[in-house]
Amino acid sequence: MKTASRLKVDQRDAKLVMAHFYVAFISLAIGGMAGLLQVLVRSGLFELPAGIGYYQLLTLHGVVLALVLTTYFIMGFQIAAVSRTSGTLTAVQRKLGWTGFIIMTIGTAMAAIMILLNEASVLYTFYAPLQAHAVFYLGLAFVIVGSWFGSAVILLKYRQWRKENNKAVSPLLTFMAVVNSIMWIVATIGVAATVLLQLLPWSLGLVETINVGVSRTLFWYFGHPLVYFWLLPAYMAWYVIIPKIIGAKIFSDSLARFSFILFLLFSIPVGFHHQLMEPGIDATWKFLQVVLTFIVIIPSLMTAFSLFATFEGYGRSQGAKGLFGWLKKLPWKDARFVVPFIGMVAFIPGGAGGIINASNQMNQVVHNTIWVTGHFHLTVATTVLLTFFGISYWLVPHLTGRILTKEMNNLAITQGVLWFVGMTIMSGAMHAAGLLGAPRRSSFSEYGGSSVAADWIPYQVAQGIGGSILFLSIILMLYIFINLAFFSPKGEQDFPVGEAGHEAEKTPKVFENWKIWIGITVALILFAYTIPFIDLIQNAPPGSKGYKLW
Amino acid sequence: MAQPETVKKQKKGEEEPSFKGAFVSVLIVGLFIIITWFGVFILFNYRF
Repeated sequence: MKTASRLKVDQRDAKLVMAHFYVAFISLAIGGMAGLLQVLVRSGLFELPAGIGYYQLLTLHGVVLALVLTTYFIMGFQIAAVSRTSGTLTAVQRKLGWTGFIIMTIGTAMAAIMILLNEASVLYTFYAPLQAHAVFYLGLAFVIVGSWFGSAVILLKYRQWRKENNKAVSPLLTFMAVVNSIMWIVATIGVAATVLLQLLPWSLGLVETINVGVSRTLFWYFGHPLVYFWLLPAYMAWYVIIPKIIGAKIFSDSLARFSFILFLLFSIPVGFHHQLMEPGIDATWKFLQVVLTFIVIIPSLMTAFSLFATFEGYGRSQGAKGLFGWLKKLPWKDARFVVPFIGMVAFIPGGAGGIINASNQMNQVVHNTIWVTGHFHLTVATTVLLTFFGISYWLVPHLTGRILTKEMNNLAITQGVLWFVGMTIMSGAMHAAGLLGAPRRSSFSEYGGSSVAADWIPYQVAQGIGGSILFLSIILMLYIFINLAFFSPKGEQDFPVGEAGHEAEKTPKVFENWKIWIGITVALILFAYTIPFIDLIQNAPPGSKGYKLW
Repeated sequence: MAQPETVKKQKKGEEEPSFKGAFVSVLIVGLFIIITWFGVFILFNYRF
């Protein structure tokens, strides 16, 4: 009875998860519309009506997609995963989850209203010395604090499970959600510090100037692990859920846990690779963080091998022959597999581009060009997002007591393919134009008839075409989401959770010795940041007053 | 005592699946990373 109840997420937990998903998909609609308008403006063939500013729209796009959609989806998905694998939440845990949801939503509304009033066109990185309205920063602080409640739910449930099971090895999905939550809490301390101690007093006029170097460093201390906070839930699906969907076993439970531990250790002390072109940070410390960044390639390649091995193992068990015959045996008609698979493929050029970005001096070639925009539209906006869509195709009907029909499944595959086509055109054109020097974060301009700038325009038209195809894909996604949430036939949709093969080695208990892992995480952060951070404060140039350039 | 271990080993040897395809796939991914990296490195040397 206990096992049977665990196979399904409890209805009370399902409501909490769906609340998160509603906000996530409303964000997709708003952010997607903003994205479409941006690519059309940048093509030079369209002007924004009604006094809407390009940078206002760009801020809206970045904030609601990169910050709101991702955080809400991840919080919802992790709560569902923990409820499914470690048991239904207690009343206290669920109440904490709702409290976090409400705090985050109040914060989101505050930030969104300020953006819509054109009081906060500071883009999603909210770099000083651009200065937004204090309510915008306060809203962001609410979102961060709310997310800590959601993370606390995961950690409390995990602690309860371990207590009830004599400290046995925890369910893999729960373990992964715990790693991601710990990383999130450690990372958000940085952004909370800059928002509460620097940006908020500065925007309220309590202090006149701000130390820009410190604020950017605190932002990127958070900003890079943020990337992994997006990516790890996708890896959760790849390692644990996809094997079950295709009918295979998890390649290795230990390898999956080890790669997650490596992400916890090495995704935080690496923020300087976003600041390679900035003054005020000694080259030695930049180089050190570049080396630490490159260590994160190891768990990514471990993940790649593990996935290929899962697919090959399954294909061979079905009688596949030859070096790549196993590819043919994969379920190419199942959207729950195909859509995340497109995301996996996109991570190959996405990861390769990331290595180029982080390669110290080579960053000069691409820094602040639209190559970077092309890069993160492959990683977060394809790899992560298509995996989230793939998860939604079974998780939404699972939570609402409905099923993914054949018709919706086929439509979902169309959605994934359209995304692939649109993103190949848009991101490909962004990468190419970036290598030709086209800047990111900039509205359409002919730059006084410059011949160099003229070369970028055909690529901007291509981005307009790709972006329009992506918008069609978003409409399809929203249609499918609404169908699965409200109209699809009633039934039981499985929440697939893979198991390790019988021949797999026993998982070492050391992976759950958090004193070791959190200790090393903190030590690495102190090692990578203490001296350059003191330097940024002691040898700071005069602080900057706030600017409103919009 | 020794006999079951031998049997186990043989059984394990027989069941060991082939991951040649996965290995070659990862090598292809690695090669793609190296090629793109050197592509931009050449551009870097040319420009700076």
